Amino acid sequence: MRNIVAVAGVVIKELYRRKDFYVLFIVTILICLVMASVNIFNDDKIVRYLKELCLLLVWVSSLVIAITTAARQIPAERENRTLLPLLAKPLSRVQLLLGKFFGCWIACGLTLLCFYAFFGALASSREHHWPLLNYFQAAALHWFMLGIIVAMALLGSLIFAAPSSNSTICFVVIGGILLVGRHLDKFALPMPEPARSVVLSIYYALPHLEFFDTRDLIIHDWPLIHWKYFGYAIIYALSYIAVFLTGASLAFRRQAVN
Amino acid sequence: MAPILKTEDLRVEYRSREMRRATKVALRGLNLEVNAGEVFGFLGPNGAGKTTTMNVLLGFVQPSGGSASLFGIDVRQPIARQRIGYLPELTYYYKFLTAEELLRFYATIFGLSRSETDLRIDRLMKLVELEHARKRPIRTYSKGMQQRVGLAQALINNPDLLILDEPTSGLDPLGRMKVREIIQRLKHEGKTVFFSSHELGEVETVCDRVAIINQGELKVVGRVDEIKKPEHANLEQAFLEIIGFQPEVVA
Amino acid sequence: MMPLRTYGLLLTALLVLSFGVAAELQPQFTSWRGSRADGDVFKVLLGDSRKLFANEFFVKADSYYHSGFYPSIFDNNEAFKTAHMAEDTGAVNSRNHGEEESFMGPPRNWIDAFGRHFLPDRHTHLDTGGASDDLSSSDEVREILPWLKLSTDLDPQNVQNYTVTAYWLRERMHKTEAAHEVLLEGLQENPGSCDILFELGRLYAESEHDTNRAINVWNAAIRNWRPVEGSEDTVAANNFIYEKIATELGDTECNAGNWQQGVDWFEKAKSVSRTPEALTELINEARQHLPALASAPAGSAQ
Repeated sequence: MRNIVAVAGVVIKELYRRKDFYVLFIVTILICLVMASVNIFNDDKIVRYLKELCLLLVWVSSLVIAITTAARQIPAERENRTLLPLLAKPLSRVQLLLGKFFGCWIACGLTLLCFYAFFGALASSREHHWPLLNYFQAAALHWFMLGIIVAMALLGSLIFAAPSSNSTICFVVIGGILLVGRHLDKFALPMPEPARSVVLSIYYALPHLEFFDTRDLIIHDWPLIHWKYFGYAIIYALSYIAVFLTGASLAFRRQAVN
Repeated sequence: MAPILKTEDLRVEYRSREMRRATKVALRGLNLEVNAGEVFGFLGPNGAGKTTTMNVLLGFVQPSGGSASLFGIDVRQPIARQRIGYLPELTYYYKFLTAEELLRFYATIFGLSRSETDLRIDRLMKLVELEHARKRPIRTYSKGMQQRVGLAQALINNPDLLILDEPTSGLDPLGRMKVREIIQRLKHEGKTVFFSSHELGEVETVCDRVAIINQGELKVVGRVDEIKKPEHANLEQAFLEIIGFQPEVVA
Repeated sequence: MMPLRTYGLLLTALLVLSFGVAAELQPQFTSWRGSRADGDVFKVLLGDSRKLFANEFFVKADSYYHSGFYPSIFDNNEAFKTAHMAEDTGAVNSRNHGEEESFMGPPRNWIDAFGRHFLPDRHTHLDTGGASDDLSSSDEVREILPWLKLSTDLDPQNVQNYTVTAYWLRERMHKTEAAHEVLLEGLQENPGSCDILFELGRLYAESEHDTNRAINVWNAAIRNWRPVEGSEDTVAANNFIYEKIATELGDTECNAGNWQQGVDWFEKAKSVSRTPEALTELINEARQHLPALASAPAGSAQ
């Protein structure tokens, strides 16, 4: 546990000493503030378009941070040869992998805190109310979704040689899941066999990230998600995280690192 | 007394991805023992299998056959590395960390307490003469400074066995002297040092025993004066004869 | 290695040359037919594809009208062919069929069923409280305005943007002045548009209670109206606006006691209506006030 925490700490330090997060955060703030200054029929209570824009920027930024951070962890260590002195310590590969995962995931969580705090401040400046529980649900589900993505990117980093190809594949896969993942079974229905079975298998096997996208509920002030379903979604996320991390540790276990 | 480093019939083969190319054999049944308290030189030409042997000992590469152990523990167990320090040939460390943060990180992995860590970091920074730069990020360090950080991290856990991969490679004469001094001091403290090197003059000076490996096979192991025959002026000549090098005769 | 002064002189010479070439080419570029430099920023950046975006933003506004409960391109959108925010203005011919609630259909499997807990799950309209069903917040319809404004900017020739915006501005948000400006802007981009003139008339009649002005504007709309040929939907939409204008004129005349003129307008509306029964009723009601024709059947007054 101590080793995992130590490795995670280094990952978090790395993220906050790089410029990625700050650039994305400042860009988000600037764009939102510019859009908030637009006069729409002299009505200063219009807020949903602003919430949608802000949440879209938060989602894009968090995906970029999660994927690029996780995708380069192991390959960068290999390329920079920092992996060798690290594995020469009494640290198992599983501990290293878990440390990298938790480091990336917690770093994503901290960035989400900053982004959602800004979002809450922006929304409440017009709405004059704070639906804290709704924001908590949205941020928590978002964070667990990023956990799945980080685990997926870590697994990809052990399979694909270059971090850039891993990042690209992750972006494409995740974009595809978010946009059409929910509808794959509809596409499968009119298909002939065996294509239908293949598409249906993919539909059931892939992680349905749309469970964690509750932006519409936040933007349009829908009531809270029932805590029971919130809990099931968390369990669903943890299952996929476990599957991806298990795959990653199996891939990493016997890989030569020199 | 049991050897603290031992390999038995150690074999490493790299399978080629291309069908037409044969499997490359990096190590062919290596049997090696290093006893506690000795300075052991591991010599061989480029591509002989020195680094492969070290990679197996450190768990970077899985052996294809045979076994290797450190302090009686199979090298595949992470705990086998609890009492070792390792200095790679090319020293690269996290550029965004300071030297102090890097040492603290490694100390945590070794399970050192905070007070012990503070003490050791102070001592090591003095030893490697990096006190003035301990709070600067490593990316601002020169090559020599990075190598000294490497030495510090290899010693953070006060290891009983130090594995050095060509420790004087790329160092100026002053740097080489400092490394020799550190090796001598560790020997006097009863530590074991296992290192590979091309600097046969240094090996002759500091090592208790040496092993010479060529094309994955152990050619000879023993004390320097046992390996050197009377007709050999120095260890280099003995080395060249053992690996089968025939000098060109100039007419 | 050249001295620094030489570099400076070279740079100055290059700058002078660049400006000279630009000044020489400027008149030719301005007169070039493919030039988009005189257009607004959307026209320059997007060209004709801005109309695609305009349509997307119009649909987005309707999605906002439903607080996010809206079919995607993969769902059955028979009940959303005409934007409800436009349909509810009463000035648009609806092409919607089926139930709004059922566009997703029953859950296809456990993943679909579970996923619906994380989406808007009820059909609501912003003007009746939206997701919170709070009727006191019926001015939440303001939230569709940014998307309508964007859609208008990208496609000023889409008159529905102006009419829908103006309707909600005056009807729920009581911003008659702003609605008036929107409609005048629409008329500037689309001179003589019957839809915009109709909405303008409604503004004068319902919000400013200036019936005479409303009648003038509606008469102008009727004068500008022409029958069109094309798809069934296009013809129906064109006839629908004529029917609405004629019906409003008929109502206005009847309210002013001009029953015969009212009947005439209702007859004109009925000639293009798809649902003539309602208009027949209005004609019969109006006829009852005509002493000479009280007993004559409807439709024979022509």
